[in-house]
Amino acid sequence: MAIRPILSALMRNRAGAILVALQIAITLAIIVNAVYLTTQRVTKIGRPSGIDDQNIFAFWVTTYEKDYDYLGMLREDMAMIRQMPDVIDAAPMQQVPLSGSGNSSGYYSLPDKKGEESPANTYATDDHGARALGVTLSAGRDFEPNDVVYKAAATRERFDTASAIISGGLARALFKDEPALGKDFYDDQSHPIRVIGVISHMQGSWLGWDKVDRTLLYTYIEPPSTQYVIRVKPGTIDRVIADVEAAMRKRDPNRVIETPMRKMSDMKRRGYAGDSLMAVTLTTVTGLVLVFSSLGIFGLATFNVNSRTRQIGTRRAVGARKLDIVQYFLAENWLVTSVGVLIGCGLALGAGYWLSTQYQLPRLDLYYLVGGVLGLWALGQLAAWQPALRAAKVSPAMATRNI
Amino acid sequence: MFAYYLRLALASFRRNPGLTALMIMAIALGISVCMITLTTYRAAAANPAGDHGEILFAASIDSWDPEDSYEDYDKSLGPTMLTYRDARALYASEIPDRKLIMYRSGGIYTRADKGMEPQYFRTRMTTRDFFAMFDVPFLFGGPWDNKADDGPEPVVVLSKDANQKAFGGVNSVGRVLHWNNRDFRVIGVLDSWEPMPKYFDVSNGSFEDMEGAYIPFAWGPVLELGSHGNTNCWKTEVINSFQDFLNSECIWFHAWFELRTADKQRAFKEFLDNYVLEQKKHGRFPRPLNNYLYDVGGWLKRNKVVDDDNKAMLVLAFAFLAVCLVNTVGLLLAKFLNAAPTAGVRRALGASRRDIFWQHLTESGVVALAGGIVGGLLGLAGVWALRAWYGRFVDEALRAVPFDSNNFLIIVAIAVGAGILAGLYPAWRIGRAAPASYLKVQ
Repeated sequence: MAIRPILSALMRNRAGAILVALQIAITLAIIVNAVYLTTQRVTKIGRPSGIDDQNIFAFWVTTYEKDYDYLGMLREDMAMIRQMPDVIDAAPMQQVPLSGSGNSSGYYSLPDKKGEESPANTYATDDHGARALGVTLSAGRDFEPNDVVYKAAATRERFDTASAIISGGLARALFKDEPALGKDFYDDQSHPIRVIGVISHMQGSWLGWDKVDRTLLYTYIEPPSTQYVIRVKPGTIDRVIADVEAAMRKRDPNRVIETPMRKMSDMKRRGYAGDSLMAVTLTTVTGLVLVFSSLGIFGLATFNVNSRTRQIGTRRAVGARKLDIVQYFLAENWLVTSVGVLIGCGLALGAGYWLSTQYQLPRLDLYYLVGGVLGLWALGQLAAWQPALRAAKVSPAMATRNI
Repeated sequence: MFAYYLRLALASFRRNPGLTALMIMAIALGISVCMITLTTYRAAAANPAGDHGEILFAASIDSWDPEDSYEDYDKSLGPTMLTYRDARALYASEIPDRKLIMYRSGGIYTRADKGMEPQYFRTRMTTRDFFAMFDVPFLFGGPWDNKADDGPEPVVVLSKDANQKAFGGVNSVGRVLHWNNRDFRVIGVLDSWEPMPKYFDVSNGSFEDMEGAYIPFAWGPVLELGSHGNTNCWKTEVINSFQDFLNSECIWFHAWFELRTADKQRAFKEFLDNYVLEQKKHGRFPRPLNNYLYDVGGWLKRNKVVDDDNKAMLVLAFAFLAVCLVNTVGLLLAKFLNAAPTAGVRRALGASRRDIFWQHLTESGVVALAGGIVGGLLGLAGVWALRAWYGRFVDEALRAVPFDSNNFLIIVAIAVGAGILAGLYPAWRIGRAAPASYLKVQ
C-alpha cells in the first residue's frame, strides 16, 4: 500500500492528526508507568503476612491501681478467654504485628556486634503467643510454660531473653543458608539468644518497612499494661469480640479495656492504605485515559471519513475494492498512532526515570513499554475500525454527486 | 450579539448531542480527577501555623551514631528528636522570645468520686509556652504559669473532648483528676483544636489524634513517665533505671523556639553550634557538626509530611487533564470543520472573521462551563467519598482533606479557562477558512 497519498491527505488536516498523536503519546506515558506502579503496589498488598490475620483481634488492657495483682489478672483473664467458644487461642502481647506500632532492636550473628547484622521487630508474649498469631513453625518447638519470665511489679531494668522463636526472614539475614535452629545470636550487649524455633514466615509491625519479614518472639510479662491477642475460628470474629468485651468487664471492672477492640484485618488495611489508594487511583485514571484516547481516535477517523466521502466515491468508481478503502483508513490511523507511540516512548521513559528517582525504584521495566505500544496500536485499529467500515460502504455513485 | 451566539451554540449542540456530551465529559472527568488529587495534596501540604510559623523553630542537633546517619535516604539530615539532656540544655537558653520542650506520654485518669469511667488520655508533657506558641484556644481557664513549670505543680489542661468525657463538658476548672496515684487540678479546658498536619509533633504521626491532657513537663522525671510515642536509640548503654534512660543518648523529646528577629535566629543557631562543640569536648556528638533550625514549613518538608505518592498522583492527574484537553481540542476542531459550510454561508452574508471567531469561542466556552460544573460536582462527590470511606476506615490523613464549596468555584473557573484555551485554536482556524471554497460545493 502506498503511504504517500495517505500522508498528503493527512497534511490537509494536520492539526487533527497532531492532536490525536499527542493524545496517544501522553496516554502511553501515563498507562505504562501507571500499570508498572500499580503492579508493584498490588504485589505488595498481596504479600502473605504469615499470620492468621483475618481471624485475630486485639485490645489494650491497662491497670492503674497501686499494688494491683497484675499477674493474677492475666492468669484469670487468659483462663477465661481461652475456654470461650470459638476461641482458638489467646495471649498477652506488648505489641501487635501489622498494627503500625512496634519495637525493633539490632541483632548480630557473633558477639561484640560482629558478624551478620540485622534489625528485627520483637514481640514479648507468653507460651501461647505463636498459636494466638497462627504462625507456622518450620523447625524447632513452640514455647513451653517454663520458658515464660513473669514480673509482678514494673521494673525499669532491661530484660535480656535467653531464647527466642525467630522468623525465616531474620534467620536468613543472620545465618544465611545454614539452619538457624539451636544456634545462638547476640543483642547489642553481646547477650546470647538461643533459637528454639523458626517460623517459616511472619511479618512485623511496619508494612512499609523493607525488613518487615524479620521478627522475633520471646516470653516475658511485665505490668502495668499489655495487649491481648485473640485468634478465633473463621467467621466468628464479630460475635467473639462482643462476648469477650462483656466477659472482660464482668470479670473485673477495675482496669481500662480498650474499645472498640481492633481487628487485625483492619490494621492490615490501614497499613496498606496509601498503597491501595494509589492503586485505585492509578487504575481508574488508566481506564479513563484509555477510553478518552479511543474516543479521540474514533472522532478523528469519523471526521476524516465524513469530509472525504466524495474522494472515497471517486476511488471506488475508478476501481478500488472495499477492502482497499478499509485498509487505507486503518493504515492512516496506524500512521498517526505510530507517531504518537514514538513520542510516547520518550515521554514514558522520561516519566519512568522521574518516578525511579522519586521512589528509589528499579527503572521502568521495558516489557511494560513494549506491552503499552502493542496495546495502543491494537486500540487505535479497533477505534478506527467502525469508521473505516463505514467508509467502505460509500457507493461509487457518490463521485458524481454533490454533497 | 452574545445571546445570538449562545443560541447558535445550543443549536449546534442539538445537532451533535453525542459529540457534545463527550466533550463535556472529557473536561468534567479531567477536572474532577485534578480537583480530588489537588485537595488531597493541599491537605497534606497545609501549614496550619500560618505566618506565625515563620518565627517558630524546631531544633535538630546531630547527636546520632558515628557509624550510621539518622536517615538512610539522605545522610545530611540529623535526628528529628532530642535527648533529655540536650532538650534541657537548649531550653535553658535566654535567647528565644518563647520556648518549650515536650514529649508524649499517657495514662489512666480517674475521679475520686467515681463520676467517670477510668479513661486513657494521651498526655502531652510540656512547658507552659506551648499554649501561647501554637495559638491554642481556651474554652475555660487558661495555661499554667512559670511557677507551675518549676514546682512542678499538680495542674492539668484538658482538651474539649477529654473534658466532655471526664466532666460532661461543664466548666471543670478547679476540679480534680487522679493520675499516676496523684491528684491533678484542672486549670484550663481547651476549645476544639486540631491542626492538620499536627505539625508540632510529626514524629508521632502527622495526622494523629490530639492529646486529651496537658501536664507540666517536669512531672515526667518526677513520676518516671516514659514516652508513649516514638523513642529511638543507637548507642549500647546500660539502662537499669529511669535516670539511666534520661541520661542516655535515646531521643524522644521535641523543642520549639520562638525567634522573632533574624538576629535572634542567627544568635540561636550559633548557640546550638557552640553547645554541640562544647559537648564534643566531653566525648559526645561524635558526628560532624550538623545543626539545623527549621521553621514550621521547613519542618514539615524535613519530615516528608507530603509524601512521594501525593506528588506522583498530582502529576498523574494533570497529565490526565492534558489528555482530556487535547481530546477536547481535537473534537472541537472536527466539529467546527464539519460545520464549516455554515460558517462559509455566514461569512458570505457579511459576518466578519472576528464574528465567526467569537461565535465559535462562545460555543467552546459553553462546553467548558458545562464540563466545569459537572466536573466540580463529580470532584465534590469524589472528595466526599474519599473522606467518608478512606478517611474513616483506612487512612486518617484523609480526614484532613478540606470539603468546601470554594474549591468548587475555583475548579469551575479553571475548567472554563481551560475550555476557552482549548477552543482558541479551532475557533481561529474556522474563522480563517475562505468562504468561497465551502460555497462552491453547495
